[in-house]
Amino acid sequence: MQIPRAGAAVLSLILAVTGCSAGADTSATGDATARGAIDVWFSNNAQEVAWGRQVVQAWNAAHPDEQVTAQQIPAGQTSEAVISAGIIAGNAPCLIYNTSPAAVPNFQAQGGLVPLDDFADGTSYVTARSGELGAQYRSPNGKIYQLPWKSNPVMLFYNKTAFAEAGISTTAPPLATYTDFLATSQKVVSSGAARYAIFPSPSSQFFQSWFDFYPMYVAESGQQLVVDAKATFDSDAGRAVAGLWQQLYAQNLAGKEAYTGDAFADGTAAMASVGPWAVTAYQDKVEWGVTAVPTRAGSAENQSTFSDAKNVALYTACTNRGTAWDFLKFSTSSEQDGELLAMTGQMPLRQDLVREYPAYFAANPQYKVFAAKAAHVVDVPNTPASVEVWQTFRDAWTNSVIFGKEDPGKALADAAAKIDDLVNRSRR
Amino acid sequence: MTAVTPEAKPATTRRHRMTASVFGPHPVGLLLSAPYAVYVAAVFAYPLGMAVWISFHDYIFTAPGVSVPRPFVGIDNYTTALADPAVRQSFVNILIFLVINVPLTVVLSLLLATALNAAIPFRTFFRVSFYVPYVTASVAVVGVWLFLFSSDGLVNQVLGDLAPDPSWLINEKWAMPSIALFVTWKQLGFFILLYLAALQNVPRELYESAAVDGAGRWRSFRAVTIPGVRPATTLVTLLAIITGANLFTEPYLLTNGGGPSGKSASPVLLMYQRGIEQQHPDVAAAIGVLLVAGVLLLAGARRLLERRRE
Amino acid sequence: MTRGLSWWRTIALTLGAITFLFPFYYMIVGSLQVAPDTSLSGALPRPDDLSFDNYSEINAAIGLWRSLLNSVLVTAGVVIGTLVFGVLAGYALAQLRYRGRGTLFAVMLLLQVIPFQLLVLPLYVQVVRGYGLADSYLGMILPFVINSVAVFVFRQFFLQLPVELFEAARLDGASEIRVLRSVALPLVRPALLTATLLTFIGPWNEFLWPFLITKETGMQPLAVALANYMSTVASAATNPYGAILAGACVLAAPAVLLFVGFQRHFVSSDVGSGVKG
Repeated sequence: MQIPRAGAAVLSLILAVTGCSAGADTSATGDATARGAIDVWFSNNAQEVAWGRQVVQAWNAAHPDEQVTAQQIPAGQTSEAVISAGIIAGNAPCLIYNTSPAAVPNFQAQGGLVPLDDFADGTSYVTARSGELGAQYRSPNGKIYQLPWKSNPVMLFYNKTAFAEAGISTTAPPLATYTDFLATSQKVVSSGAARYAIFPSPSSQFFQSWFDFYPMYVAESGQQLVVDAKATFDSDAGRAVAGLWQQLYAQNLAGKEAYTGDAFADGTAAMASVGPWAVTAYQDKVEWGVTAVPTRAGSAENQSTFSDAKNVALYTACTNRGTAWDFLKFSTSSEQDGELLAMTGQMPLRQDLVREYPAYFAANPQYKVFAAKAAHVVDVPNTPASVEVWQTFRDAWTNSVIFGKEDPGKALADAAAKIDDLVNRSRR
Repeated sequence: MTAVTPEAKPATTRRHRMTASVFGPHPVGLLLSAPYAVYVAAVFAYPLGMAVWISFHDYIFTAPGVSVPRPFVGIDNYTTALADPAVRQSFVNILIFLVINVPLTVVLSLLLATALNAAIPFRTFFRVSFYVPYVTASVAVVGVWLFLFSSDGLVNQVLGDLAPDPSWLINEKWAMPSIALFVTWKQLGFFILLYLAALQNVPRELYESAAVDGAGRWRSFRAVTIPGVRPATTLVTLLAIITGANLFTEPYLLTNGGGPSGKSASPVLLMYQRGIEQQHPDVAAAIGVLLVAGVLLLAGARRLLERRRE
Repeated sequence: MTRGLSWWRTIALTLGAITFLFPFYYMIVGSLQVAPDTSLSGALPRPDDLSFDNYSEINAAIGLWRSLLNSVLVTAGVVIGTLVFGVLAGYALAQLRYRGRGTLFAVMLLLQVIPFQLLVLPLYVQVVRGYGLADSYLGMILPFVINSVAVFVFRQFFLQLPVELFEAARLDGASEIRVLRSVALPLVRPALLTATLLTFIGPWNEFLWPFLITKETGMQPLAVALANYMSTVASAATNPYGAILAGACVLAAPAVLLFVGFQRHFVSSDVGSGVKG
């Protein structure tokens, strides 16, 4: 087999081709006032699709010269790969209503995002709409590359049927402190009311920590994972959360294996940390109650939680940026945010939600608790190497907390050091 | 590979001899393989070259027209990759996988194909059943495997106290062997098909003369079937190594992204994490090139072994 | 003794078949259940709990026929491309000696060894930006149109044929194309069918690539439409896992049917060696 010779041939061919295909491209600088037809992508979640369809219809009826075409991209992980591919190939749409804040630093580094500061009223619009909440989405270079759109404040759902079976109060279950939470978990499992107390995916995908560690950590510390280019979790708060989960796993109160399906929906787990999307999802399946995630001392009123937000970003492939910006404002107006809330149950990232949509919360009291939390949400840090940071954390977490191969305290300290290094190196 | 290529006879006429010196004895071969060669050049040369080029540079993908510095960094990405314990672990993992998966695949698929080739009752039924896991989407099949191998799954209930603790897929020792077994099971239909097709070309007379010589079934299997399907065995072995080296979906879905503690992570899984999720296509490309080199080495070693046997 | 052996064989095959059929069975039962049950008893059908809800939901959610048609077009393109050009290349690689053969063979091997994850982004840029094939069938087909694995399969099967056969035909003055068509091809018919079935399944089940290429729902093949469906209903359906299994059944059914239809042609006309012996 003549591999060496063949290899050389392939290589030379390759070098010839790469040499000519790499450069030569259109400019990425666009005109912030250009107008005309634009493309937008929505998440493929059924309620959001319905919302998207009506926004586009409303807009198109009023703007015959600036038509909007909408398409769906998948919710979840594949969407980041798809968006990334779109950026690189220069065929990303103008707006994507499913931009994960954790992916923004990456997209920004790829030169895929238009800073909203480019528009005369960009900064003022974002600030007026989201107020303080929006500040955490600003990038380290001071610019705004994402419009804070909607949050899914994470709360703790519990299965009332299972709790009743285990002899636990279904109206005020003892879940406020870690001691309570652990005792309640033990009771649920030992009574046989559910196989597990709680079953977040134990997978090592980088984003899974958003549904076990992070909500509790945010509630405990009120801080992001990384602040001022330094990891914050190598602290009492971080160790306390890790300690709680370590116990849950060691006592088999939380599942360690992959699971197909939704463990909370089918009764395998008695609790779940989820956002308001879960209200409709679990409506007919589980008799549920909702409370704040536990903290060491027991919840205080204004305790924060993880926001699990999805934002809107404007992509550099867009030529008619004036229209895109107008449509972005149109689709995040008070009226359209109201529609979004009504149709999806997700919380628009704007100030004073409950006061702005009193009729909705009167009619849907089960969402009120989420709206109250929506004023105290903390998101993932807008840091360089964001995904790598989360992966580093997740690897330490699965290794120590879930599988007990290492002392969690040491694992957190090591991960924090590694993350500091990563963030500082990527800042360059 | 060329060991099994028959030696072609030299061309006879003078005209042939002329072209033969430039294009080889059968210049028409160039014509026949041209569409494939052009296709490969047009579709794969650029991405492939790009991947190799990326592995020697500090690289990120960017939008058209955005220029970032992409300095040549020599073998930095390779040293980064090799210094990463997770990457080294993944290469060990894939070796464990291949040691289990490849021999099992070759032996089982040849035996099953021989059995399925015979005139047995319900042959269609049997063939379809062995083919089914291969065509079924992984998401669905993974559910079945969890049903069998999870902590309170069927297998552990049958084993009782003999069940490993922690259970198969979250056990550091068993996670990779479990995946190897799963992949063998899922892909076997594919390899049975290859052998079935190969068996059709083993001349029947050989079996007949073996029978005349008084060879039993096992002897004729060894003396006729195995040599008769040798090119197919080469194919099956190589393809099993190649598909094994490209392992991705199974650790992603079955063991939660290569758990526990990276003991079932595969190089391709890490390439996905590093390259697509974390935006280090340079390191990912280096892992990819190392993987390709490793597989080619294995293929070479396999061929040496085969030669020595002959 | 022979009789005893074939009994053993049948029993072993039956056990094997059960092991291999189980996922399919489990998939069908799971897809018919109204309430999900991942416990052991879930493997048994519960008559009071069976319905076609999951299937009717799929039918309502996606344009089944349209996406099936897309799948068929894409897959047919790949299969035809592979059979026509793959056979030519496979034959040349196996039975002809010419300059560049070793290189081509090495490239073919190399292509199979390279993980798709490594190529996907540059390939996407090239196909979409270089060739302008976004939202087109050609764009979806292109990376698969001549399947290198199939070329390899063809080569190995042509290798199995005795070289004297071809030499004889050539001495009779037959052109190389003629040798291929009337001598080689009839002999490797089982390999052709095998390759069809093997190349069929790749584009049929492929998700990521067609998804990247097609943003328009009307262009999406079945695997993409179903994956989309699976990810959206996961939160909404009464039995998300059932919905996923139903999707997998819909996707697998045509492949299984095709196999059932084809498999009898696997064996050359004289039913093989096992009849006696």
